[in-house]
Amino acid sequence: MIETPVTLVAVIVAALAGVSLGLLIPRRSSRPTENISSVEAPPVVPQAEVLDVLSSAVIICGPTGDTVARNSIATELRRSHSGLLIDDAIERHVRRALHGGDVPETIDFYGPPKQTVVVEAHRLASGGAVAIVEDVTTRRRLDAMRTDFVANISHELKTPVGAIAVLADALVGEDDVETVQRLMQRMVREAERASRTIDDLLELSEIEQQDIADLMNISVNELLHGVIERFAQAAEQREVSLSIDSPPPLCVTGDPRQLSSALGNLVDNAIKYSESGGEVCLTARREAGSIEIEVRDSGVGIPAKDLERIFERFYRVDRARSRETGGTGLGLAIVRHVVANHGGEVSVTSVEGEGSRFTLTLPAANKPEHSESNQCDTIEESQP
Amino acid sequence: MAELRADFHRDLEEIRSLVARLGAFVTELIPRVTGVLLDQDIEGAEYVLLGDAEVDARALDIEERSLRLLALQSPVAGDLREVASALKISADMERSADLCCNVCKAARRIYGHELDPKLRGIIQKLSDQATKEYREALDAYVNGDAVKAAALPDIDGYLDDVHRQFLQQILESHASGTIDLQVAVQLALVARFYERLGDHAVNLGNKVRYIATGWMPEQEALTRLRERDEQSDRDSGE
Repeated sequence: MIETPVTLVAVIVAALAGVSLGLLIPRRSSRPTENISSVEAPPVVPQAEVLDVLSSAVIICGPTGDTVARNSIATELRRSHSGLLIDDAIERHVRRALHGGDVPETIDFYGPPKQTVVVEAHRLASGGAVAIVEDVTTRRRLDAMRTDFVANISHELKTPVGAIAVLADALVGEDDVETVQRLMQRMVREAERASRTIDDLLELSEIEQQDIADLMNISVNELLHGVIERFAQAAEQREVSLSIDSPPPLCVTGDPRQLSSALGNLVDNAIKYSESGGEVCLTARREAGSIEIEVRDSGVGIPAKDLERIFERFYRVDRARSRETGGTGLGLAIVRHVVANHGGEVSVTSVEGEGSRFTLTLPAANKPEHSESNQCDTIEESQP
Repeated sequence: MAELRADFHRDLEEIRSLVARLGAFVTELIPRVTGVLLDQDIEGAEYVLLGDAEVDARALDIEERSLRLLALQSPVAGDLREVASALKISADMERSADLCCNVCKAARRIYGHELDPKLRGIIQKLSDQATKEYREALDAYVNGDAVKAAALPDIDGYLDDVHRQFLQQILESHASGTIDLQVAVQLALVARFYERLGDHAVNLGNKVRYIATGWMPEQEALTRLRERDEQSDRDSGE
């Protein structure tokens, strides 16, 4: 994968120069010259073929700015509405390059899907220009993830520790029993919060590094009922109805503890972000060789702009609300890693004010599923 | 002579390309202003409002090129419909960009007021549907697809439904005290802006059908009017 536009220009120029040099080199070689007709013709590499292997869109223009050639990615670009705007930018940059100098421009498209491209053009010695369009959407997202992770982990760990320090300081010299008790209770709460964050971080780290050594055939029905049992009390306290839409007998292959933890995180979130009187429903179904397990709620929902980032570690949609609910910001990251460990994927759809729907797609177990009780192994008691 | 027509077709193609790009600009603007509204992005609002001058300039450029082509090349048949439509489409798109600016102005007026999740969810739905309609209409225009264009009024029906649902939700939210009257009024206007964006997408679709077949929605109304007049004449004769 070629990353920077400067490298790209070098590759394009080198490719073109390579073709020319290929024509010259055999003449200077020490091959016998007496039988010229037997000398093999140098391989001619079509320019278009070279341009098509590049990961960026490349548009070559003549001295008047007219497009002479586009590689396959540049052609593909034209099929989207953002492609029409990119064409507009290319023309602008080629004009600038032909009349002096051009500076790269970063353009954000709001989609959906969101896209960020960098457009730049360079004047060629022959008088034309080459424009390069690089899609930096993924790189940008990864950069944001990395930067935010460092900032967020510092915040998540430093806040409770700082609070404990301040509370401890206030305790020194405090004689009033009631005040001391209140301060101590707050210190315990902050310590528990820090402890939860560290526990989740350890669990995530364990899941990230862990290979699933002991694969078991797991009854989906038992898995769902186990999760329901664990969260029944929490749901009752928040007056949220928690139910299973009776799935048919289904089996998945995996680690029951990890799968139970992933589903538990989803159900925990669904209950926390539902208003009193809300509903959380679990369903499972077979879909073309896969098993889909769905956790649906009628809660506050997730804004569209946050949907693509919610599986990041410590990413918060609403920082104030997540503090209220006591989340660590790692639950969905754990879900994503568990599902990835099982060769599946997790997706989410949500409408604010209507609720969210998380779907885990897992490979179905190989065993036949006539009667789940004797086909699937029983889940051991899972840890919350 | 052949060279003259080549110039004409090149100019016509250029107008088509400019119209398509203006349409892409507006399509991009819809989710952007929704982000401004939902995230209370005052800086983003300012940026969009400043950028409106570029839309105006693009629309004016299309108008001037179209008029020049009409005056100098006297296009006929499909070419004439194409140029005449470019004049109307560019005006529709310019108005659509103005509606997006109005969403930004509404965002500034309700700055600091929190919107409840139900209202936010419906605003997102309105925006998604308006964007989808504009994108479909633009695709139909770029590909000269009259069949896709003909489906747009039905697609727009959903946006009208969401618009009504939003108005109902505004009333409920105001009644329950989660938003005050000023915010409720601004949101009702915002709903109308999205609904109008959908109407402009339908207009674009109608123009695509007109370019391809010469059909105009007004013709149906005209036919109905004539039939009514004829019936009225017959009744008075009896």
